Amino acid sequence: MPSSYTIERRDYPPGDLAIWIFILAELLVFAIFFATYAFTRSNHVALFNHSQLSLNTNLALINTLALITSSYFVVRAVAAIREDKTRLCIRWLIAAVMMGFIFLVVKIIEYHHHYHNGINLRTNLFFMFYFSLTFFHFMHVILGMVILSAVAIKARQGHYSSTDFTGVETGACYWHMVDIVWLILFPLIYIMK
Amino acid sequence: MQKTHNRNRYALRPCTVIYIILVSFTFITWLIGKSSLTGLGFSLAVLGIALIKGFMIGDYYMGLRGINSIWRWVIILWLFIPGCLITWAFVSAG
Repeated sequence: MPSSYTIERRDYPPGDLAIWIFILAELLVFAIFFATYAFTRSNHVALFNHSQLSLNTNLALINTLALITSSYFVVRAVAAIREDKTRLCIRWLIAAVMMGFIFLVVKIIEYHHHYHNGINLRTNLFFMFYFSLTFFHFMHVILGMVILSAVAIKARQGHYSSTDFTGVETGACYWHMVDIVWLILFPLIYIMK
Repeated sequence: MQKTHNRNRYALRPCTVIYIILVSFTFITWLIGKSSLTGLGFSLAVLGIALIKGFMIGDYYMGLRGINSIWRWVIILWLFIPGCLITWAFVSAG
């Protein structure tokens, strides 16, 4: 991953190549989910549009901002470790994990609100997609937080430096993937009618 | 010289500029949703904004902008293919 100032030319993506195979597999699954949602919707437009009205776009906005902000913090963490500023890198990573935590809390509030109103996975086709897609993504956020926390712990133990920061880039790439998926999920589920 | 140094010190990092653009696009998307603007045109506009945001994350935040191989296109292709399928589904739904 380039620092905040320069674009680095190379043949392979940042981080460990194995994480990219994993990212590709994850993205493929989400792509199939998105396409299935969209084509199912085309046969039940009225149901989907009506069901969408019960979603809280304000909470979705907070979650989108939380993930975008966390991605920004992760970029700063990578830039910091490239400059050998380990402590700063750890602080940015912790801040990113905190943003992930905000995302989880807001999502739980949203789920609680739906269950309180008697809405669940079996309510209708739209909510089957809504709960499946968002919960699948929710689990990815948790995994991303675990990865970023592990990277922060390893950074604290002195495993990374300006010459060896592949681990930080690997964690960062996974987290950005989680962010990109949500950037499509947010308009698709909450906004597009 | 001192002036140049100060200007660099307070200049926004490119990643910060990207962050501001991403947040602005997010608010535009949210406002479209809040305004209850519906219809194919608004849906596709919102989808387009989301795809641009995804492209920016991939290129600038993931660092794919500087990659010379096929990896450069991984995120772009991922955004393009589901983007086309979603567009097709929404257009066919009317």
